[in-house]
Amino acid sequence: MSQHNPLDTKISRRRLIQAAAATALTGPYIISARGEQPVKLGLDNPLTGTYAAVGKNEMIGCQLAIEEINKKGGILGRPAQLIVEDSTSGDAGTAVQKARKLFERDGVDFLLGNVNSALSLAMADVAFEKKKILMVTGGHTDAVTGTTCHWNVFRICNTTQMEANAVAPALVKNAGKKWYYITPDYAFGHTLQSGLEKAGAKLGVTKVGGDLTPLGTTDFSSYLIKAQAANPDVLMLLVQGNDMINCLKQAVQFGLDKKLHIAGGQQELEPLEGLPPEARIGTWVFEWYWNQPGVAGVKEFVDAIKKKTGRVPTARTWFGFASVWACALGANEAKSLDGIKVAKALQDFKLPPHVACMPDAPFFRAGQNQLIPNLYVGHAQAKGPAGPDDLFKVTDVVKGPDAAGTLEESGCKMTWPSA
Amino acid sequence: MTQLILFNVFNGLIVGAFYALMALGLSLILNLSGVINFAHGGFLALGAYIAYSLLPFTGFWGALVIAPVLTAVIGLIVERVLIRPLYGRDPLYSLLLTFGLAYVLEDVARAIWGAQSVPFQVPASLTTPLSAQFFFLTGYRIFMVVLVAAAVGGLFFILNRTRLGMRIRAGTSDLETVSTLGVNVRILRNLNFGLGIYLAGLAGVLAAGLLGLEPTIGTSLIMPSFVAIIVGGLGSLPGTLLGGLLIGVASGITTVYFPSATEAVIYVMMGIVLLIRPRGLLGEEGRLQ
Repeated sequence: MSQHNPLDTKISRRRLIQAAAATALTGPYIISARGEQPVKLGLDNPLTGTYAAVGKNEMIGCQLAIEEINKKGGILGRPAQLIVEDSTSGDAGTAVQKARKLFERDGVDFLLGNVNSALSLAMADVAFEKKKILMVTGGHTDAVTGTTCHWNVFRICNTTQMEANAVAPALVKNAGKKWYYITPDYAFGHTLQSGLEKAGAKLGVTKVGGDLTPLGTTDFSSYLIKAQAANPDVLMLLVQGNDMINCLKQAVQFGLDKKLHIAGGQQELEPLEGLPPEARIGTWVFEWYWNQPGVAGVKEFVDAIKKKTGRVPTARTWFGFASVWACALGANEAKSLDGIKVAKALQDFKLPPHVACMPDAPFFRAGQNQLIPNLYVGHAQAKGPAGPDDLFKVTDVVKGPDAAGTLEESGCKMTWPSA
Repeated sequence: MTQLILFNVFNGLIVGAFYALMALGLSLILNLSGVINFAHGGFLALGAYIAYSLLPFTGFWGALVIAPVLTAVIGLIVERVLIRPLYGRDPLYSLLLTFGLAYVLEDVARAIWGAQSVPFQVPASLTTPLSAQFFFLTGYRIFMVVLVAAAVGGLFFILNRTRLGMRIRAGTSDLETVSTLGVNVRILRNLNFGLGIYLAGLAGVLAAGLLGLEPTIGTSLIMPSFVAIIVGGLGSLPGTLLGGLLIGVASGITTVYFPSATEAVIYVMMGIVLLIRPRGLLGEEGRLQ
């Protein structure tokens, strides 16, 4: 140990540089830092892995909201600052560790995220312990604002049950009552399928079969062969993201779209953009769509995002945008950054038109903290009249309260802390 | 029911042929150089993305020819610069290197082509079912099987009939002797690596026609390929081919009875083979230690 070996120095210097480089790479990615004492918002969302693309779109929405808020006087007169951490796409341990880091080291007042439902639930526990607001951007599983709801956990995106309730009537009317499910084998898929079964049962739908597919399935051919053999009216594809692309691509190559009606609960612009034109088919629910002629706020939002990225915003971009704005509006309404005061201020709080970008003002339902927005039912299209990004034809704008069910049905029993 | 099973057996053969194509490249590299190439999936993605970028200029067929060759060239460079210094060291070194390289390649693809899937279009003539009854036999899938058969045939021809192939095989069984006989082992390993990466690139272009093309496309395909090698037997290329076909059929049949285990079944198969015949179905004894 005490002997001086020149080799050691060399290695340790190299190690030092490596360590420095590693720290620089993994350190927080500070988007905007202005003023003396900014109000910090921490985004703990996937930037790598399966959900990297949608996670990044949510981040861009957050960034735009921060810029707008700072132009309009900030939060409680202080500048807003976004701190971004990569939660990974599926590792709850990392997401929790990043959430703790955001609270304990960066001192954020609001936590935002996550695309992944399981990670959203894990982050909710951390935020609950810290008595701070968690604004769930894009994790859909019912439990977040249902059986495991907390006073401090708010959600922008829909529950899977709301999506199911929105799309079911259109399918029964246009396609038929025998449904077959191809469902991803994790929390989101299970709740979406049971939501559709529940919504369908009320309309006389029978389930003629269904398969659970592992997340990350590449080859759907054997499932499609089985589905075709069951001869359903509607083939419900509940897989998401890249699984959705794989499945749709293969279903269309097999010509299944000509034999039965392809549909699903949730569809997004990102997977449609990744599909060749002939595979952009099916009946779906969009949670937000950029092409809404005549709706207040939409054009300004679309133009601002286009200026930033050159692309139209997706529902994910809007989730991020609305999440940051909701935190800021809540704090300004409460005139405080205290978690409980902000949460109280957000009960039944309506988003203003420039944030909502929807025909009917969405609001956080009191006692559940779930945003009740419009839902957009329609079908995918290869190319639309409004240009190459117009890949969805909205046929029916569903009012949120019609799809949301009752507060009792959500299963949320909220208790508030005494202090 | 019988029809459903038969359909799934046929379908499984098609899927298995694809696994085999990836696994053969892995197997080649493993056999001669003792490198477990975890970055194989990364090269696959690279091949697919290069083809995607070539599409507007060369069309699908041109891309199918050029992209694997370009991928192989990148493979040759990577072998020369990164992997060669690690020969002769503990296999763990090269394993760690390729493991890291897999992430680097994934991020390179993400930086250049974006995290979001890009639409990869194959000619319409290939994407229609050949008959209403056998709707799962599309032109593209038949073409894929033919191409895999041709690639496997070509590979076996190279290995058995050409000087390079004979040296690769000789080197696989005893590298030291081959080296003493005056064969330049460095060049041999380099070309062999390139050949393996060529197969990865080819698999990538084919995969992009069936799957969504995004940076992690290779990751989900690489595990079945490893399983194919272990089931078929280390050191045996026919074994690898057999392994690929077997796991394809096994997961196809499982879908009929127990769909959520479609992915798990190949690992169960691997476990059984390792317990009963650790060297794999056609593997040489003593390869797996």
